[in-house]
Amino acid sequence: MSNDVWVVADLKIDGTIRKVTFEALTEAKKKLVGKLGGKLCAVLLGSGVSGLEAELGKYGAEKVYVVDSELLKDFNTEGYVNALGELIKQNEPAVVIAGNTVFGQDYFPRAAARVGAGVAMDAIKIDLSGDNKLQIERYSHSSKAIQTQVFHDGATMMSTVRPNSFKAEESPTTPEVISGSVELNPADIHVKVLELQTKESDRPELTEAERVVSGGRGLASEENFKYIYELADILGAAAGATRAAVDAGYCPYDMQVGQTGKAVSPNLYIGIAISGSVQHFAGMGSSKVIVAINKDPEAPIFQKCDYGIVGDLFDILPPFTEKVKALLSE
Amino acid sequence: MKILVIVSQTQDTEAKIQVSASGDSVDTGGMKWIMNPYDEFAVEEAIQTKEKHGGEVVIVSIGPARVIDTIRQALAMGADSAVHINGDGFAETDPFAIGKLIASEIKKLGEFDIIFTGMKIIDEESGQVGVQVAEELGIPHVSLVSKVVDINADAQKAVCQKEIDGGHVVVEVPLPCLITCPDAMNEPRYASLPGIMKAKKKPLTEVGIDDVNFDGLGFGKEAVSKEGARVKTISIEVPQIERKLKIIKGSDEPMVRGEEIAKSAQELVKLLREDAKVI
Repeated sequence: MSNDVWVVADLKIDGTIRKVTFEALTEAKKKLVGKLGGKLCAVLLGSGVSGLEAELGKYGAEKVYVVDSELLKDFNTEGYVNALGELIKQNEPAVVIAGNTVFGQDYFPRAAARVGAGVAMDAIKIDLSGDNKLQIERYSHSSKAIQTQVFHDGATMMSTVRPNSFKAEESPTTPEVISGSVELNPADIHVKVLELQTKESDRPELTEAERVVSGGRGLASEENFKYIYELADILGAAAGATRAAVDAGYCPYDMQVGQTGKAVSPNLYIGIAISGSVQHFAGMGSSKVIVAINKDPEAPIFQKCDYGIVGDLFDILPPFTEKVKALLSE
Repeated sequence: MKILVIVSQTQDTEAKIQVSASGDSVDTGGMKWIMNPYDEFAVEEAIQTKEKHGGEVVIVSIGPARVIDTIRQALAMGADSAVHINGDGFAETDPFAIGKLIASEIKKLGEFDIIFTGMKIIDEESGQVGVQVAEELGIPHVSLVSKVVDINADAQKAVCQKEIDGGHVVVEVPLPCLITCPDAMNEPRYASLPGIMKAKKKPLTEVGIDDVNFDGLGFGKEAVSKEGARVKTISIEVPQIERKLKIIKGSDEPMVRGEEIAKSAQELVKLLREDAKVI
């Protein structure tokens, strides 16, 4: 068993590294690496990923384990599980962390089962207990509770972390690159990717956006969501929606924020015509600043937001968007 | 086809959450227990698969005696039989042990074609058990399947669409496999009255903790408890986020006058810049 702390790089469809990876490297260095006395390492898995090691070094990775293989193309779950599982078995790190992205939730718990490690999901805080075991905090029960969980066995301790929970800070170093230690076998890959469809969008992704503008059923049509997109684009924000708006067909499921959609934690969350159900708050309740525009003064969101206007979105939003635009172009 | 569904019972999280006296769990006294909403999608998908391809749907569930209500609900929706791993300590152990126990009981059911289960349970919100069962059984899994495009029982393969960040992928997976179900995958049916009547007579096998064969699980009976968990919840609290509650209202709410609207929009922009400093 080594004392090293690993962060598995999360890649976007365009092949760049997600912000959550840099956040995790920064936080792991701050909270775990010093006390454990090992090295901060990154794990880079994918196809055609060589060359990204320097980026990981920029955020403090002293060592980068690389598995660059065609078999890891297009987010191949089994490939990731096999590669990460094998790397963990070979090197026995103390801690392994990855982003709680959609893909992270897919391969990470299975990789943990592969190596017989306990795993915690979606941590918003990471630390060590008195006897140097990984200790994390996470939301549960529709984000109405926060659990503190601590590991208590001798095996590798694994956790995913929620994007936007930590600040990424550069701490440049030139990492030692270790590749070629894992050979993937095509016969071990059973799931075949037939097609990868990407969504063309210039907006940031919901889970890692600093700002989110979301619309509810009060938008009343797909067409009216243009108001949401317009404000989002001026703010450089991601666009989200409630389940009611998605169910009504105003926008696609991947925009859904809430218990049954995505969990977001931006600096600024603007909810337009959103009543503020428990299920919606389960996905955005940890936002730093919450703003509400709703014509119903009794809407629950007005009991749990920072700023709000009671009024019809079709009256308020155009002048509000105009003024934000004017301010930001100053 | 033999179709399995792993179904969990959960606390209705609509309810107000109170921390128990011990400080490390949620007080479940007086709480409503429901079928995990994601598992409803899994049961529905299983029944639709049976309707299309023939075969049987078997429910597998773990938990104390109250779980039988949820199992009956799945049977009333149209599943054919059920296995209930009955015990009290399961709720307090970790997903690692739960996954292994479920897998060990599934192994006893003989050959099967496909397993459906919800993407996560809404109380713990961890989402590990499904994929860990697949690992334990040595079968592939596809998680967050927004659409089962095709199942070919003869060729023993399925084509599914699954969500990833920023898009989706279409994959072909050999059977047997495990599929985890997100929201909006289908529209779960309600149990009909005849369905509820029939469910009472459908076969339900009870497995006690003493019936479990721990050989080969890598842990003993003692692991199926709070003390035995690898990842232990040591405290739980209800977070109190102080919100500023600065709400701008018109003179007659909701505001209707143009002048007031322009002023309030300007005021909100000012608050966001000067008070919150977020734009």
